[in-house]
Amino acid sequence: MLLAVLIANSEGNILVERFNGVPAEERLHWRSFLVKLGADNLKGVKNEELLVASHKSVYIVYTVLGDVSIFVVGKDEYDELALSEAIFVITSAIKDVCGKAPTERLFLDKYGKICLCLDEIVWKGLLENTDRDRIKRLIRLKPPTDF
Amino acid sequence: MAQPLVKKDDDRDDEMDYSPFMGIEKGAVLQEARVFNDPQLDPRRCSQVITKLLYLLNQGETFTKIEATEVFFAVTKLFQSKDVGLRRMVYLMIKELSPSADEVIIVTSSLMKDMNSRTDMYRANAIRVLCRITDGTLLTQIERYLKQAIVDKNPVVASAALVSGIHLLQTNPEIVKRWSNEVQEAVQSRAALVQFHALGLLHQIRQNDRLAVSKLVTSLTRGTVRSPLAQCLLIRYTSQVIRESGMNNQTGERPFYDYLEGCLRHKAEMVIFEAARAITELSGVTSRELNPAITVLQLFLSSSKPVLRFAAVRTLNKVAMTHPTAVTNCNIDMESLISDQNRSIATLAITTLLKTGNESSVDRLMKQITNFMSDIADEFKIVVVEAIRSLCLKFPLKYRSLMNFLSNILREEGGFDYKKAIVDSIVILIRDIPDAKESGLLHLCEFIEDCEFTYLSTQILHFLGNEGPKTSDPSKYIRYIYNRVILENATVRAAAVSTLAKFGAMVDSLKPRIFILLKRCLFDNDDEVRDRATLYLNTLGGDGSVVETEGEVKEFLFGSFDVPLSNMETSLKNYIQDPSEESFDINSVPKEVKSQPLAEKKAPGKKPTGLSAPPSAPASAADAYEKLLLSIPEFASFGKLFKSSAPVELTEAETEYAVNVVKHIFDNHVVLQYNCTNTIPEQLLENVIVVVDASDAEEFAEIASKPLRSLPYDSPGQIFVAFEKPGGVPAVGKFSNVLRFIVKEVDPSTGEAEEDGVEDEYQLEDLEVVAADYMLKVGVSNFKNAWESMGSDFERLEEYGLGPRDSLTEAVNAVISLLGMQPCEGTEVVATNSRSHTCLLSGVFIGNVKVLVRLSFGIDAQKEVAMKLVVRSEDESVCVAIHEIVASG
Repeated sequence: MLLAVLIANSEGNILVERFNGVPAEERLHWRSFLVKLGADNLKGVKNEELLVASHKSVYIVYTVLGDVSIFVVGKDEYDELALSEAIFVITSAIKDVCGKAPTERLFLDKYGKICLCLDEIVWKGLLENTDRDRIKRLIRLKPPTDF
Repeated sequence: MAQPLVKKDDDRDDEMDYSPFMGIEKGAVLQEARVFNDPQLDPRRCSQVITKLLYLLNQGETFTKIEATEVFFAVTKLFQSKDVGLRRMVYLMIKELSPSADEVIIVTSSLMKDMNSRTDMYRANAIRVLCRITDGTLLTQIERYLKQAIVDKNPVVASAALVSGIHLLQTNPEIVKRWSNEVQEAVQSRAALVQFHALGLLHQIRQNDRLAVSKLVTSLTRGTVRSPLAQCLLIRYTSQVIRESGMNNQTGERPFYDYLEGCLRHKAEMVIFEAARAITELSGVTSRELNPAITVLQLFLSSSKPVLRFAAVRTLNKVAMTHPTAVTNCNIDMESLISDQNRSIATLAITTLLKTGNESSVDRLMKQITNFMSDIADEFKIVVVEAIRSLCLKFPLKYRSLMNFLSNILREEGGFDYKKAIVDSIVILIRDIPDAKESGLLHLCEFIEDCEFTYLSTQILHFLGNEGPKTSDPSKYIRYIYNRVILENATVRAAAVSTLAKFGAMVDSLKPRIFILLKRCLFDNDDEVRDRATLYLNTLGGDGSVVETEGEVKEFLFGSFDVPLSNMETSLKNYIQDPSEESFDINSVPKEVKSQPLAEKKAPGKKPTGLSAPPSAPASAADAYEKLLLSIPEFASFGKLFKSSAPVELTEAETEYAVNVVKHIFDNHVVLQYNCTNTIPEQLLENVIVVVDASDAEEFAEIASKPLRSLPYDSPGQIFVAFEKPGGVPAVGKFSNVLRFIVKEVDPSTGEAEEDGVEDEYQLEDLEVVAADYMLKVGVSNFKNAWESMGSDFERLEEYGLGPRDSLTEAVNAVISLLGMQPCEGTEVVATNSRSHTCLLSGVFIGNVKVLVRLSFGIDAQKEVAMKLVVRSEDESVCVAIHEIVASG
């Protein structure tokens, strides 16, 4: 299960958080844990360089893209490798929507589109679409080109 | 870093113009949502409002029931718009609002219309939304469309239906299982993602059908799998099939191994890792099978991508637990990871090295770890401490440097869990490595001088009280203990008083001085501390008013609490709930130990966890048995328990009912304790008895039996059968056993059993009571002295021919296990190629009679073994009995 996708700005303020199968009372804990993890480790990291951590039996892959940091959390079959696949799709989609690694302003300007992308990529904890071109079309309700 | 948990809009003023959501407020956005009701819809405006709503929801904002309903109804109006972008937003918004069952009906007709739309993308999205909000009744209505969608030409539609199926399988399995033909077809799809989703769903549908899974794996491993994700799934399912099928008996080859090995050369890293992990996790994996996997993992250790390094070191860390030598080749690469920026990787590397390292590399490793410890978080430190503890137990000679390391980190900053892990480790090392005791105790003493955790201080004081008096110079610990009485809080002071009393009881020379210290505690301002001091002064003072003998004093101070704490807690709670005039009587607390659940029992090789663990397993097991038997009135008159055997399994592993038996030997009685576990969740057993046929055990007569009223799933219970036998005689015999019971069906969903049951029985293996059951293994430190002081008054000597044997070792072991005695001075080990051997045994025979045996073996060229047995004992009849045992064995 892909437990969470969380996107924060460079100061650790939450921009997007989507949890799947995480009890409401644990979400705050996860949020602060991830933000702290980012604050401790993401300084000076290059865009899209993937960092990894594990906490109990849960894996976390996270990265920086422009002004935002992106975290994905998973367990069981969503281990560090599956998560890096997922985060790769997420970062590509955001870059496509924003046209580049986004500033915080740009990210918020494109907020609706980004939500649609996330909706195409992760559906209730399962990875659904992984192809950037396809996602680009799907959020505009256009059929995929390879069909 | 700024406050992490505040919303974006709470930011500082100078950033206010930064956000398009500046000053966003739920009430205002809900007002704005009224535009959804406009007769002339403005799609752009509506999309903006939906984006704001999404922003609020993604920030953790919640809508009240009324607000959500209002927004939901308004959003459904947007289906009137033909604007594609807006429609996409509407789909997302409905999913996010997850309307309640009574509201869903408003939107179903619109969604059903979209589901049949000629526009593929409407279909795909409508399926996802419907499946998200639907319930079972609606699902049967749309099932036909979903089945069509699974085999739709458009991969997005097919994937939408398949992923919906995966979710719906949790709530409506019986419906989704009907789609397996369509899903099967989708597995063959040319679209990579459709194949991935279909494979996942098909496996979930068929996961309980081994044959189907095996067929699926066989066909797909031969065919083409298009996406790396699907390939990973296939590898997982393949390892499941391998686990269940075992080795191919004819060729000795492991089925599908070639497939896994082939995947190691796949172009996607994800697949390579999955295959490598699958190989390392094969049961009974050989080093030949393991090598290719280790080689690819080793290459990834020096990858530039942290994720790959992490994945590799994590896998190797697991392998190191079972096959440390296989990982040794990677040690050099692993050592360079100790300085990895990523602390998760560094910690995994260190703990792996600690498992694979040899004795000579310990010191070097410790130096590297010391530098590393200062910059990692507590959770990683705990992992390292646990690894060091295991290393120390593996190389006891290295205890000095490892113990020093532990004591150094104990002095540094750290939270409770970390400190507890260190203290637990030191305690375990003290217990298992006698040489480490004194230095370890002093480290603990120094720690409590400046310990901020009351729990740890009290635990250490308790441990110090048990171990300190047995050291060469107990007086040196008193200062540390008395400091606690002066400096600490009441809980720690009370614990320190108890510890002082233990020293007083055990060390006579210290007693007068302890008295002075305890008397000072009488003026403490805490009741408990004063009470304890008074009690101990009276106990140790020996005026006979509290306890009479020194033995009783020690029993009082050191004896374990003979009532299980959970039972005590329940009894006290009942007492408080139902107050009565009478004072609480501790004798009314039931002493029967609640059995541990199956899962806990199965945990393999769990190490004792430090302070909370009993000091030594065998002694406490015997104690526990004795208490258990004494608590049963039928057996209370049997006197002192002489010996309890190790459990003997009476069933094969993994059978419906697991039964083992412990033989309890008393002077005139034998009690058989059958430990039974019911491993079938759908059954409840009642009135469970063991019918024992003792016709091959002539000297035994059954006198009592204690059946088990009920035996639910996974909750072990005990049945006892007692026999009378001639006093002091090592009577032997064979017993056949049948488990008889009434079985009742249990509904797994409710856990309720049916009223009526059926009588049934289950044949168990036979059990033998042998001569060795009457012998306690008690060693002597100096056999020669013991032998001489025993004297030759009752010595008896006989010679025996043991017939042809494979080796001298085999003959020696056979006689040792026949007599059940303790080999002394390592004489159970026979030098290779030796033609003669002397073995020294010691034990205590039933009736508490000490026995010493000297065995001399010789083997000739034809492998015929001859043995001379000399036995000395305090009782002539025992000497005779020993020879009888050997003669009849």
